[in-house]
Amino acid sequence: MTTTHAASPAGTRSARTRATATRPPGQSSRGLPAAVGSQAFLLLLALAFLAPVVWALVSAFKPATQIISDPLGLDLTALTLENYRRMFADVPIGQGFLNTAVVLVTKGAITLFCAPLAAYAFAKYRFPGRDLLFGTVLITLMLPTIVLIIPLLLEMKALGWVNTYQALVLPGAVDAFAIFWMRQVIADVPDELLDAARVDGCGEFGIFTRIVLPVIRPALAGLAVLTVMNIYNDFVWPVVAASSERMATLQVVLSTLAQNITGNRVGADYATVTGELLAAASIALVPLLIVFIALQRHFINGILAGSVKG
Amino acid sequence: MSTLVGPERVRGSQGRPLLRPWLPRKVAPYVFVLPFVAIFVAFSVYPMLFTLRLSFTDWRGSGAARWVGWDNYTYLLGNDMFWGSLANSAVLWLMIVPVQVVLGLLVAVLLNNAKIRMRSFYRIAFLVPFVTPLVAVAQIWVVVFDQEFGAVNGLLNLVGLPDVGWLTTSEWAKPTLALLFLWKTTGFIVIILLSGLQSIDASVYEAASIDGASRTRQLWSITVPLVRRTVMFSVVLQTLAVFQMFAEPFVVTDGGPYNSTTTAGLHLYENITRGDLGTGAANSFLLVVVVMGLSLLFVRFLRTED
Repeated sequence: MTTTHAASPAGTRSARTRATATRPPGQSSRGLPAAVGSQAFLLLLALAFLAPVVWALVSAFKPATQIISDPLGLDLTALTLENYRRMFADVPIGQGFLNTAVVLVTKGAITLFCAPLAAYAFAKYRFPGRDLLFGTVLITLMLPTIVLIIPLLLEMKALGWVNTYQALVLPGAVDAFAIFWMRQVIADVPDELLDAARVDGCGEFGIFTRIVLPVIRPALAGLAVLTVMNIYNDFVWPVVAASSERMATLQVVLSTLAQNITGNRVGADYATVTGELLAAASIALVPLLIVFIALQRHFINGILAGSVKG
Repeated sequence: MSTLVGPERVRGSQGRPLLRPWLPRKVAPYVFVLPFVAIFVAFSVYPMLFTLRLSFTDWRGSGAARWVGWDNYTYLLGNDMFWGSLANSAVLWLMIVPVQVVLGLLVAVLLNNAKIRMRSFYRIAFLVPFVTPLVAVAQIWVVVFDQEFGAVNGLLNLVGLPDVGWLTTSEWAKPTLALLFLWKTTGFIVIILLSGLQSIDASVYEAASIDGASRTRQLWSITVPLVRRTVMFSVVLQTLAVFQMFAEPFVVTDGGPYNSTTTAGLHLYENITRGDLGTGAANSFLLVVVVMGLSLLFVRFLRTED
């Protein structure tokens, strides 16, 4: 999937965006009703998208029995931290946060360093074996990740890595999509820029750090947010590879709590477990939501700068 | 071999050669891909080849593996459960992808219009489900769509409609799952489509409106053809995602009721948990063939219309 225009560094793009945004004549004559209709449609849709999350965040503060008996009502006088208290007592969510943080930092650093570097080689050099290697990357993109779980688990057992940080960090540290995306972005960087640096005596690695990385920064920011999200949200592999209480990541802790809702736990009724579940879900999604809202501009601009153009 | 020619050695202002670069140009790409290749070979290529070999054996996780040739493949191709799981995924695809492309395009076109207010609020709102952890989201879904106590049935009751067994009846479970997937991923597709829209030159629209083309006409004759590549990219991306869908049914319905939500991805996981590793491996490669075939089909379909 190649891009249609050869090079579009950040500057020209934002100018064009502004031009499209202030789209002139033709439309103004359409008048008020259409604009109001569009606005209402977007607003309703946005509220529908936000509703389940808002509902969960609010309901987590309701008494457990009320979540069940009156899911839509809100009695402000009855709000309570009971669900959170019980959830903290029940599952090691603090340890989960800590493990997730360790994995996030190490795995994220590896991805954000290795993926653009390899993508740079794929995009800007010709070397024997390049196409074979890149073809293999594309195949792994199509292979469902769950099929690799059994052989990976056997590999972890052979290495003695089950329930270790290595097992959580290394497999999938440089994912095929990151390579694919970054190659696309770096291919757009003009060759003249790289050659000019070369003439000025810049080394090959220097070209990467001093020319390529700064130019692709918007897309890199997008990759960073996407990577953080994927690592934070991953749960299938962590459940398999590191499910001990000491190594469980946040999502693993969350999914073990979810299994209780089917009634596996003795002495816990549906309402109590639901309350705990919503408290745990809220606490798991709030940090990511804050990071996303703080960095959303970078994330959105990164995708806008880095994807396939029309 | 590098075919680009560049100065092998750079001379300083007095003609004195600068330091020979520590990383020659011909060696550089190998050094650059090395960290990636090391991780990729150890944790992606090796397991992939292992799985490929496994698919021709009857290995069940211990003991000696017996070579069975194409038996696992022929078994699956004659197996109703396998075809059923593919059919479930195909139905989910039909419920998800066309809706997502139309809705995504509509929202993206609106968000690309400067006259719409609060555009950044909308972009955030639509992406909130995409960034929230699936496990948390799936749990919220289970609670919200509960037949007896859920908020959705509560809303239905308010307007006088009876309860619906969203996750407990085989006719509703698939649409509910599709709705979850749509809700979770449409925001991302909107942003991808928006990137396609923003690469269209504004002058094209100006020319069209001078020629008297209505706005609807502009949408069909300019916008849609020009973002076809972006649409194709989204369709391929979502086809991969839908056919590999595993975590959503795993957490929300566990494939039930009556296997109505056993997706292709979940079915191959079930082979693995039964201990039937060879069949599971064969299942996954059959799935790759299906997904690859569909992707090529869409790419061709959306390209030849030029």
